[in-house]
Amino acid sequence: MDLPDYYEFCCRVKIVAGHNALEKIPVLLADKGSKKPLIITDKGVVGAGLIDIVSRVLQDRLAGTLIADNVPPDSDIRIVHQLAQLYRDSGCDAIVAVGGGSVMDTAKGVNIVVSENASDLMAFSGAGALKRPLKPLIAIPTTAGTGSEVTQVAVIKDHEKHLKMAFLSYFLLPDVSVLDPRMTMTMPPFVTAMTGMDALSHAMEAYYCLQKNPLSDAHALSAVNMIYRYLPIVADNPLDPNGRLAMSVGACLAGIAFSNSMTGIVHNLGHASGSVCGVPHGQAMAILLPYGLEYNMHKCEDTIVRLLLPMAGEAVYHDTVKEQRPQKVVSLIRQLNEDLHKMTDGRHARCFGELKDREQKPTVPREALPRIARAALLDGASMYNPEDTDYDDNLMVLEAAWEGHPLDRSKVKKG
Amino acid sequence: MGLVDVVRAGRKPFKRAYVAVFLWFTGRAIQAAAKVDEQVRREFDSLPDDFTFSLGVLPDGPWMLIGKDKGRVKYLGGNPGGRRIYIRLAMKNIETAFLILSFRESTALATARNRLITEGEVPHALAMIRVMDIVEVYLLPKMIARLAIKRYPSWTPGRKVFGRIGIYTRVLLGI
Ligand SMILES: NC(=O)c1ccc[n+]([C@@H]2O[C@H](COP(=O)([O-])OP(=O)(O)OC[C@H]3O[C@@H](n4cnc5c(N)ncnc54)[C@H](O)[C@@H]3O)[C@@H](O)[C@H]2O)c1
Ligand SMILES: [Fe+2]
Repeated sequence: MDLPDYYEFCCRVKIVAGHNALEKIPVLLADKGSKKPLIITDKGVVGAGLIDIVSRVLQDRLAGTLIADNVPPDSDIRIVHQLAQLYRDSGCDAIVAVGGGSVMDTAKGVNIVVSENASDLMAFSGAGALKRPLKPLIAIPTTAGTGSEVTQVAVIKDHEKHLKMAFLSYFLLPDVSVLDPRMTMTMPPFVTAMTGMDALSHAMEAYYCLQKNPLSDAHALSAVNMIYRYLPIVADNPLDPNGRLAMSVGACLAGIAFSNSMTGIVHNLGHASGSVCGVPHGQAMAILLPYGLEYNMHKCEDTIVRLLLPMAGEAVYHDTVKEQRPQKVVSLIRQLNEDLHKMTDGRHARCFGELKDREQKPTVPREALPRIARAALLDGASMYNPEDTDYDDNLMVLEAAWEGHPLDRSKVKKG
Repeated sequence: MGLVDVVRAGRKPFKRAYVAVFLWFTGRAIQAAAKVDEQVRREFDSLPDDFTFSLGVLPDGPWMLIGKDKGRVKYLGGNPGGRRIYIRLAMKNIETAFLILSFRESTALATARNRLITEGEVPHALAMIRVMDIVEVYLLPKMIARLAIKRYPSWTPGRKVFGRIGIYTRVLLGI
């Protein structure tokens, strides 16, 4: 299992990381021959003053730069078409995405439409629909987070059909990613917390799911190490530039890992709860991650146990009795959620039951769980999960995650 | 032209024949299972009316097709005959096909190792993989089916025995 006899691994993204990384953007755009880039972002990112920073860097060089800031959470297929129209009408020649996963995935969607000169993005959903390189795309992540800056994945929601569509192609890898801590320092603690847990879930799912390989493993393990260490630090102290840079690199490592090994039940149920109830992706990941490990434990205990050392360090590893090490991984994640809950004054939810929307209404009413369990059957992430998942399995995990009780592992069906 | 022959590689008649027979058998078994097994029937019910699925080997076959026809699920042989194929599961080459179809590797692992390539919409593909998993449980002894799927299901003895008899009978009679 550790040495698959065949696998593919690809990360041809140029990564520019550091405290003044943004200053490199004009050169990067010139390298791509771009004179008129379209900057795609969202209102939250603009409100945090991040576009001002980027504009200052671009000053003089690119007077023609266009800025579109209307990306909604989880992206949206209609906005993708709108922005593609804007790109064409304005004669743009590259895309710069400044934002979290929602913005970067929107940018990827726009890039598909403008590069393929397509009228319908949906014609390119699934794997392998793209056959040639797209227009230049520079990704500047403002969350540490999705890893979309280095993944071959885009997830775009069809808000009318309540469906999250996945797009998969090596051509969706951005040309360049710029990781600059100034871009993530403005994240409020609860956004830091949930997007950081998304990154941790990428690293862990990449490590236990079926397409794992030695190269994705290497990235996953160092990601786990960095994220577990620095996430509480930056949630507590948002302005710590080194912690922020470490988190960006951790999320990037995790992105490289899962882009090549895919994810499993945590993302499967997470996508479904996002589609059906609009649960923010990171929040779903934080809640579901311990359950993903518990659900698959009987199949990959030997793998999961190897997450403990990079997470907790030598002292904890040696102090934990051998038989309890896999379970220790799970309990450390629960503890981390607990700590983040405290640091965010309760905004970081530990179970679906306590998740509230803006109007303080429950985001996931208990009656919605069967619909989520059913929606998950339509999502490809189930394919790569080590253990099989059917409707009943999904519902069982969702119910435990709603209550916030550990999964009763004796009830997990084994074949 | 000796070189061209070398590059084309051997014809591997034994493996090719095994794969062809297997596909024929599986095709008829899926048609039968859609009548015999409630869950398979439900999976097909949720698919479009002109749904067509093909499973086979790159680059030039063999292939088998399953299609819905006026609500009934039919094995259509190896020729699409102008039908739109919704889902194509392609095994990379005859070696790979032999590996998968002799159950030395599960569908999921074969996908993870890029040996089985899925084309089409993901929800449809997942439905067909569930159908094939069920059919494999009917057709194969537990020891072997275990290798082909992620988790061997715990069905009632009734479902397994009657289903198995029903499917084998229908496969042999081609109904
Ligand atoms: N492509 C991939 O590989 C991949 C992987 C995982 C998730 N996703 C997708 O990414 C999306 C989620 O992305 P996300 O978690 O990064 O959140 P997001 O992009 O939706 O951002 C969350 C909120 O935080 C705000 N924000 C972002 N950065 C900020 C900053 N630096 N300062 C202040 N506010 C800031 C945004 O304005 C937004 O309101 C989902 O649609 C998910 O499905 C994609
Ligand atoms: Fe994610």
